[in-house]
Amino acid sequence: MATFTLNGDSVTVEAEPDAPLLWVVREHLGLTGTKFGCGIGQCGACTVHVDGASTYACLTPVSVVEGRQVTTIEGLSEDGAHPLQQAWIAEEVPQCGYCQPGQIMRAADLLANNPQPSRDEIVAHMSTNICRCGTYTRIVSAIERAAQEAGNEA
Amino acid sequence: MKRSDNLTGAEAMSRDVIASSGGLSARGNLDAPSGGLASRREFMQGVGVTLTVGATGVIGACSMPSGDSGDTGAPEPGMAANDAVTPNAWVSIGADDVITIQFGATEMGQGSMTSVPLVLAEEMDADWERVRVETVSRHDSTYGNPMAFGYYGFPIMYTAGSAALRGYFNAMRQAGAQARKFLLDAAAEQLGVPVEELSTEPSRVVHAASGESLSYGQIAAAAAIPENLPEVPESEYKPRSEYRYLGTDVPRIDVPAKVDGSAEFGIDVQIPDMVYASVLRTPVEGEEPVEVNDSAARAIPGVTDVITLPYGVAVVGETVEGTIWGKNALQVTWSESSRFRDVDQARDLDEYEARALDLSFSTGNPLWQEVGDIEPAFESADRTIEAVYRSDPAYHAQMEPMNATASVSADGRSAEIWVSTQTQSLTAMAAADLLGTDVDRITVHAKYIGGGYGRRAEYRQKDVEDALNLSRALGRPVKVIWSREDDVRDGVFRPLAAQYLRAALDADGSITALQQRVATPSVLSYMNEPRWALSRNRDGISMNGAQVTRYAIPNIRAEHVMVDRCSRLAAWRGVATSYTRFANESFIDEIAHTLGANPLELRLDLTRDNPPGRSVLEEVARMAEWSRPREGTSLGVALSDYGGASVAAGIAEVSVNEDTGVITVHRYWMAIDAGFIVSPRNTEAQMEGNIVYGISSALKERISVNAGSVDQSNFHDYPVMRMNEMPELHVRALPSDGPPSGVGELGLATTGPAIANAVFAATGVRLRELPMTPERVLAAMRV
Repeated sequence: MATFTLNGDSVTVEAEPDAPLLWVVREHLGLTGTKFGCGIGQCGACTVHVDGASTYACLTPVSVVEGRQVTTIEGLSEDGAHPLQQAWIAEEVPQCGYCQPGQIMRAADLLANNPQPSRDEIVAHMSTNICRCGTYTRIVSAIERAAQEAGNEA
Repeated sequence: MKRSDNLTGAEAMSRDVIASSGGLSARGNLDAPSGGLASRREFMQGVGVTLTVGATGVIGACSMPSGDSGDTGAPEPGMAANDAVTPNAWVSIGADDVITIQFGATEMGQGSMTSVPLVLAEEMDADWERVRVETVSRHDSTYGNPMAFGYYGFPIMYTAGSAALRGYFNAMRQAGAQARKFLLDAAAEQLGVPVEELSTEPSRVVHAASGESLSYGQIAAAAAIPENLPEVPESEYKPRSEYRYLGTDVPRIDVPAKVDGSAEFGIDVQIPDMVYASVLRTPVEGEEPVEVNDSAARAIPGVTDVITLPYGVAVVGETVEGTIWGKNALQVTWSESSRFRDVDQARDLDEYEARALDLSFSTGNPLWQEVGDIEPAFESADRTIEAVYRSDPAYHAQMEPMNATASVSADGRSAEIWVSTQTQSLTAMAAADLLGTDVDRITVHAKYIGGGYGRRAEYRQKDVEDALNLSRALGRPVKVIWSREDDVRDGVFRPLAAQYLRAALDADGSITALQQRVATPSVLSYMNEPRWALSRNRDGISMNGAQVTRYAIPNIRAEHVMVDRCSRLAAWRGVATSYTRFANESFIDEIAHTLGANPLELRLDLTRDNPPGRSVLEEVARMAEWSRPREGTSLGVALSDYGGASVAAGIAEVSVNEDTGVITVHRYWMAIDAGFIVSPRNTEAQMEGNIVYGISSALKERISVNAGSVDQSNFHDYPVMRMNEMPELHVRALPSDGPPSGVGELGLATTGPAIANAVFAATGVRLRELPMTPERVLAAMRV
């Protein structure tokens, strides 16, 4: 049994304490936007936010998030309106799309802490996440676009 | 949050339709009652049902990847597949102007789910904003790719070989033109005016003289439908100058769902009453479990069953994590009887090389390519040069690990499968084989694919077999998820290969003969036995790219020396071109250096009779400023076609750290001619993806198999390119008049040879083995 806040709502799940958060959100709770890629924190497809920080859900036992705030791609925005999601559409980033929720969650953590990152900072931050389709240049462009648009509004 | 019953929006919607339509399929005509093709009237009556779907608000060129139309379970027995191409099976028109287009391929990131239906919409003059795309969810030759024809005697649905847009292009144009013609004729009757006075605007027929107009939906709802619509001659197709959509950057329909987490991949499927399974597979191919101790596994919370399969032991349970823990707790003794226990990859590669080098040795299969006669040219040569190239197996490393969900009926004679597959047809055919039933009793919900690259195009897909076997045994739906370790260790790989190349040069420095002997196993005979049985011992999956079609060389021979395999095999992105072109495009460079020629100039000369090849070389040289001297970096060039008509040239700018052996690719340029470019922005994305995949494999990716086991297991020991290793990319598709000829794998094969050629330019050291790891670079420099 674990109780935590998922995308703003309190949830209680019947799960073993060691159950990876990945399978809890995907299969117990049906939020399948968070993806399974490697299970060992090598690819970033399962990236979610725990108390705002990007975290590998595959390596996080659900007991660790007891009482904490978990955000998945489904909770990043209402209706896909987050500036990064809009930038991802504008730059037409996804190909197969499987890694992209993790990429977006990773990027959202970057912009929350560093609203105007340099290109080098983007690359250093995002190199945790694999995209086998090779959309890396577009990921950079989308992050730069989102940062720039946020800067214009500020 | 999704509801616990786990219906997707699309499925829920379709079920509402079923409930309100007396059980008619939302697809209308597609489930013909018997004897094949539905009449036009049935077709259009069926369409009335589809309206309801559109009316729920799913419009705006949206996608419905599962192709789910609400029918649960396999099609009715006796439903014959339609062998004729029946264009109107492709499109239905709702009274509310929602137009539904059937998609016979699958979407794995290549963008075909947008570009293929877009061709139909363009020709029909449909309003793309009100188009809905449905992926077909069973084997049906009606929806087969016309290019995937010859091997089976009927078209199959098979998304591979960069052939979706290329293969469906004319079928989509015909289907769209036919639908438009029908609407024009019907509108003429309804308006009482001659059809010659009518024209179309998106989803509307207009009578300019009177100012009257009717929407497609209005016309269709009132139309009398002829039994058989005539073919529209190609001369009446829309000229390119009038295209509204093709050639522009129409947004891909799958993208919004891929940025908010709602896109449903195979692994995301959740079916009421399903259980999970994890399978401990034989460590060595061909063995079986002899003794299973499952007491610890059964004690794990959530585990409900342990089932022994011919090739492994499955742990079944209510949670994914329970089945994974249970699998880890199994103690199994294996038969240890496989011949693959003798595999030693390094020794096997040496044997392949010896076979390639022995010109008297042949495995008797037909020559892959023969032009002229190489023997006299070698006998009279002024000089000959030769080289051996070697390449290790490579893994697809698609981001979505293999998985499948299946529900087998109580009688074991029909099944519903949810899976990321590159081929509804082969998945259904192999499932029918396994269950001993008819292919029409198999439904294949083809979900979004989290990376294909050839991994999901096999005949017998082992993840699907797992799910079918277990669902049949348990009598309930089963979802099987492979771990990444399963995916690597039970992977199907690009084959190990050794290649011998030699060339004859005359006194003028012209290449008079080229021979390429490729010692590699038959991939096709492993990945698709039925197709292999029909292929007359020619294996295009092993040999693609070993032919020379762009260069003016009078005598050419390419041979497949068909050796025993040492691993499981599959087509890989670019099929065989990543190693065959590595060899022949590196070798062209070796010839250039032997002749003292500039490698680009030699290629320009060799493509003198091939304008597309020459054009992409000229363009990429211009883009890269080939002649400009560099400080600390060097350039290499390569040319590679794919699928016959498409051709790419690439240039790599590299530097080599001579202390560490690390090759850094700083920039990569690529120019292509792929015929008419339907989706420019997506084409550029495919080019970028091919470069990344190609460089990643050329520099880093290596599978090794020893004693029958794969040495690698996950991304820590099978590293792929990350963002911090990316070069600058510059890509350009040349304008071209030809039909679209495929971009999904084009240019990948330029990367390996372009890098090797650039390394030679930088260091004078020739790298002849893939991947070009730092250890191999250092070893080559020490020689």
